[in-house]
Amino acid sequence: MTGLRLKDVSKSFGEVTALRGVSLDVADGEFFTLVGPSGCGKTTTLRAIAGFESLDSGEVWFGEREMAGVAPEDRDVGVVFQNYALFAHMTVGENVAYGLRFRDTPGGQSKDARVAELLDLVDLAGFEDRDPDALSGGQRQRVALARALAPGPDVLLLDEPMSALDARLRKTLRKQVKRIQSELGITTVYVTHDQEEALAVSDRVAVMNDGGVEQVGRPEAVYRRPETRFVAEFLGENNVFAGEVAERGGGAGRTVRVGGQSFRVADFDAADAARGSHVTFCVRPEKLVAGGRENAVEAAVEAVEFLGESFRAHLDWEGRELVVRLSERPEDDRLRVGFAPEDAHVVSVGDRAREPEAVEEP
Amino acid sequence: MERRTFLKHGTAATLVGLAGCTGGDEQGTTTGSDTTTADETTTEGSETTTEATDETTTDETTTEQDLSGTLTVATYSSFVDAPSSSPGPWLKEAFEERHPDVTVEWATPDNEMNYYLQRAQQGVDIEADMFVGVNVDHLIRIDDELGDRQLFEPGASPLDNYGHVKEDLKFDPQQRAIPYDTGYISLVYDGNEADDPETFDALTTDEYAGDLIVQNARTAATGRAFLLWTIHNQGEENYLDYWEQLVDNDVTILGSWDDAYTAWENGEAPMVVSYSTDQVYANRYDQDLSKHQVGFLDGEGYANPEGMAKFADSDNDDLVAAFMDFVLSAEAQGEIAVRNVQFPATDWADLPAEFEEYAQVPDQPVTFTYEELKGNVDEWVDQWARQIVGGS
Amino acid sequence: MTRGEGLARWFERRAIAVLGVATALVLAVLFYYPVLTVFADAVRLGGAWNFEVAREVLTDPFYFGVFAPLFDGDLTAVSEIAADQPLGLVGFTAYQALLSTIASVALGLPGAYVLARYEFPGRRTIRSLTILPFVLPSIMVAIGFYAFFGANGPVNDLLAALGVGRLSMLGTLEAIVVAHAFYNAPLVTRVTTAAWESVDARMVETARSLGANPWRAFRDVLVPQLLPAVLTGALLTFVFTFMSFPIVLALGGFQLATVEVWVFSLVQQLDYAEAATLAVVETVVSLALTYAYLTYESRQSANSRAANPPPRKRFFPSVSADAGSLIAGLERAAILAYATVAAVVFVGPIASMVVESVTGPNGLTLQYYRFLVQRQVEGASFQTLPGVAVRNSLLFGAATLLVALPMGVTVSVLTARGGRWERLADTAAMAPLAVSGVVVGLGMLRGLVFGVELFGHRVQVDGPVAIVAAHAVAAYPFVVRNVSPLLGGVDRSVVESARALGATRVRALLDVELPLVAAGVAAGAAFAFAISIGEFDSTVILATGSSSYTMPVAVERYIGNRTLGPATAMGTVLLAVTSLSFVVIDRLGGRWEV
Repeated sequence: MTGLRLKDVSKSFGEVTALRGVSLDVADGEFFTLVGPSGCGKTTTLRAIAGFESLDSGEVWFGEREMAGVAPEDRDVGVVFQNYALFAHMTVGENVAYGLRFRDTPGGQSKDARVAELLDLVDLAGFEDRDPDALSGGQRQRVALARALAPGPDVLLLDEPMSALDARLRKTLRKQVKRIQSELGITTVYVTHDQEEALAVSDRVAVMNDGGVEQVGRPEAVYRRPETRFVAEFLGENNVFAGEVAERGGGAGRTVRVGGQSFRVADFDAADAARGSHVTFCVRPEKLVAGGRENAVEAAVEAVEFLGESFRAHLDWEGRELVVRLSERPEDDRLRVGFAPEDAHVVSVGDRAREPEAVEEP
Repeated sequence: MERRTFLKHGTAATLVGLAGCTGGDEQGTTTGSDTTTADETTTEGSETTTEATDETTTDETTTEQDLSGTLTVATYSSFVDAPSSSPGPWLKEAFEERHPDVTVEWATPDNEMNYYLQRAQQGVDIEADMFVGVNVDHLIRIDDELGDRQLFEPGASPLDNYGHVKEDLKFDPQQRAIPYDTGYISLVYDGNEADDPETFDALTTDEYAGDLIVQNARTAATGRAFLLWTIHNQGEENYLDYWEQLVDNDVTILGSWDDAYTAWENGEAPMVVSYSTDQVYANRYDQDLSKHQVGFLDGEGYANPEGMAKFADSDNDDLVAAFMDFVLSAEAQGEIAVRNVQFPATDWADLPAEFEEYAQVPDQPVTFTYEELKGNVDEWVDQWARQIVGGS
Repeated sequence: MTRGEGLARWFERRAIAVLGVATALVLAVLFYYPVLTVFADAVRLGGAWNFEVAREVLTDPFYFGVFAPLFDGDLTAVSEIAADQPLGLVGFTAYQALLSTIASVALGLPGAYVLARYEFPGRRTIRSLTILPFVLPSIMVAIGFYAFFGANGPVNDLLAALGVGRLSMLGTLEAIVVAHAFYNAPLVTRVTTAAWESVDARMVETARSLGANPWRAFRDVLVPQLLPAVLTGALLTFVFTFMSFPIVLALGGFQLATVEVWVFSLVQQLDYAEAATLAVVETVVSLALTYAYLTYESRQSANSRAANPPPRKRFFPSVSADAGSLIAGLERAAILAYATVAAVVFVGPIASMVVESVTGPNGLTLQYYRFLVQRQVEGASFQTLPGVAVRNSLLFGAATLLVALPMGVTVSVLTARGGRWERLADTAAMAPLAVSGVVVGLGMLRGLVFGVELFGHRVQVDGPVAIVAAHAVAAYPFVVRNVSPLLGGVDRSVVESARALGATRVRALLDVELPLVAAGVAAGAAFAFAISIGEFDSTVILATGSSSYTMPVAVERYIGNRTLGPATAMGTVLLAVTSLSFVVIDRLGGRWEV
């Protein structure tokens, strides 16, 4: 087993820059997720790790080994793709055994035993002689996983493996993947555009945008303390406010003006923000409570969705959209919501360039 | 057994010796000896002679001559490999019997003469001693392409039998090419479908509309000969007009003699340009002779003599001369004529009766000489080709 | 890992690169070098540049019709030429090629439909034999056509019996077009069948579920999937017929001469400069079309698809349950009508050839076959022996297969990404089809048979090895054109999965990609074998002075004075040996197909 390191990796396809200086550290045995919208570079990063893409610059290290010039077949990686990529002309058993043609079976087992073991691991025991075409999507993906793991790779790379599956299956399968991953303790890089999935299974996540890494950290940390507005908005729902510091103040906490409204925000370091600094902060929908006294605004109710255990209401406050979680369906078409100063998280201060029109976007 | 062989030896030796003597004598005296003599020799026993020589000449000739080595003879493929009959195998066998230390090797590159001409152009060794199947077109092309450089060298002087070659067939002013046979281009027509047109002019009349198949003068020797024949007959100024009338009268112009003859045999049209020896074949294969009528136009037939020549590169002078002399011998002349179904080029060939009866000779053989063709023929053919293709 | 395994793996890693270099080398030696020595003649005269001949040719209305004054920059003559010879020789050649292409597609497509969509006894055999016309020497085709469509042939007999009257069908543009269709419609059929067998039926089902009737589903969904293959067939047909010459010489008559006929006669006259100029023009036209096509193809192959063809319909349904509908009945009637036309065009001439081989001047005879036996037994070393020809043909065919498949697949892999440069390389790789056969032959004669002076030695390339290499050069473009579009459609992640599992590039190709595109590989292999069996021009040149002659060469050499009997007998042997080989190849290859 081995850790993984990317140093300042860049890659362009013609005019299009796919990766601009990506650096990452993945610990040995870690379940590491690259999450971001499509086109952010996460798949290219994975392909760079696998050796499918040559780099324009930068380095990829597996443990102590630099991988420049090492062909994919020599990297000891297992890859699972979104569309399963099973070999249609081989049986399930032959698919799983394929990698054993080139590498010794781990633990000196016989090939058949190894195949059986892997199929058992993915709950497909006895499927050896089936035709891949005869399997369901979830079964195919599990075959693909078994195939990738069969030779005992150092690194497992999963490229949107669940995207083609329905929601229920996705949840089952991701638990299974996570279970297998922790059982084997294999270093895993997981690519997904689904933030919920990313948060659910990962030891750490890297949020990527526009060819670069925005933030790396444990799921809770990244979710709770997004460092950029992009991360704040991409990971889960969020209400982002942009305004400026209205007072000097001492100690923690400032008053921030957004439009005509003042908000008290606690999340400031002592010397962090001067008066007039531009500030972006966010409040999670569940922290925006109806009828709250502090930092309260009155907004028009635009739409309400029933989520089962709660309701999600979309509000319009002075042309800005706000999202809020409610335990009851609102009765009026106007709603007063507020948040505690300590529930606001400051994303950035003084960085006007990255904080343009704030919440006004549709 | 031994005694019988000895007797046979004796006879054969005498016969061969005689033939040799007569040859030598006649060459000295006259070139115009008539064919009847040759004919008599044949009827007397050409069969037994060849039979006998097969087993006997060996020891006899070795003592006489002392030639050895390999003679590489280049020729066109059907001269050695045609399924009907070809003179090549017989020539090799008979010559090697006379000269046991000599091996004759045939070379038949697909491009025939052009192959050697191109070798010369590219400055590559020729790798053959002589070529059998040279015609006047070849000579003109060689001289045009190579200028002063010689592909062939004059080879007539050392030949004992050269005197027997008919004067009017000697088509090379430099005597590089020694004629060994000739053909006459004529019409062959199905007598049940068409009458003998007899004249060139008749071919352009309604009666013969769509009736004639000829070959392309750019790609087939017979086609070229027929074109030259029309030029000879109609004149350099008028031949293109004549061809315009032929085309208007729906003449079919196919790529090769085989294409044309196949089309004719399948009844596409009743007349085809071919050789005046057509009936020899027809008779040999028991075909209906009324379907194989030979027609000469205006009493003419266009003569197309073939010659052999020694490559200038070859040092095998003696072998080449011996082989050429052998080809010109009365016996070989008869065999070549019969097997190649062409007329012999000499006055003394042993021709079987079949040939006398079915091979037809025009009243007036015509042909262009080397001098007449040189500098003109390319232009004539080009103009013709452009008119035919451009006019469609 | 032992040392040996390490070395093998080292080689395996570089296999594609090594094969690429080897392919380039073979092409350079056997094709580009010989051809360029001839092309150079267009503008080189006695070691100096000379554009006079090229200029003359390009501005000659005889060749270029109304384009000639455009090349000349003199526009005043246009109207005059337009009235006189608007097309010129090149224009006419393109015109007849276009007609031939249309005819070949019209005749070939229904065949592809029947073979891909219907199950009936003998289907596989017929599919194997579709390629037969491809290998027939032109003289055989000419004989077949004269015997079948000729003034006294069965077709005219039938017309006469029907009271229509006899028609003169040969010596016309129509005859050339039909003969070209005879050669090339099978090509269209074969290429399209392979594509039809790899369509995704789910897409048709989707269209049907969205409300499309069968015809709309066919037009909107199936046609786009088949179009690249149909266009491949059409392109190859156009390129071939654009440079056709023996069939034009034999069946059309000189009035219908093509550029290649002209090139052939110019080369015979050793008029190299003009011949080379015309040959370059031919090549430019063919390659420009090829490039245009590849640009189209590269846009198509982006949408990958899984091979998931619908099940074949039974032509003879066991129970009449589903056969009752009117449309199904009409379709069967149309197929029978097509089968009749196909029988007339394909079976008629071929059967006539066979009949000719047992017909002597006086009725039925086996004398021509006796000749073959006799020649085999008694023939001298310098003569052509039928057995040697058969053996050589089969050996060269098999060897060509072994060389052309890797070459074609390598080129397909290397040009698979379909960028501009890959497209140009792909176009260049198609050049062996786009260069005049006459010029290739001349180049080989000069460059290979005569040899080159190197370090005081004359290096010659001829005999069996050169013949196989030349056949492979002629054959591999077919492999490329059959494999490349399908390979482009293989999901990239399938290959990458194999790589990640430890397979080298070439292993992944062999284990995964090729089995997935087996239909295309099999079609390419069949073409490669057929090209080798039928190849004449370069074989006859490279076999000079050796006993490396093949069956078509034997056919040509057996053309006797005034008797084509032995040639037709040899041609029938060629037909029989080839048919048998294709059935065997198909049976062997069939096991490999998915």
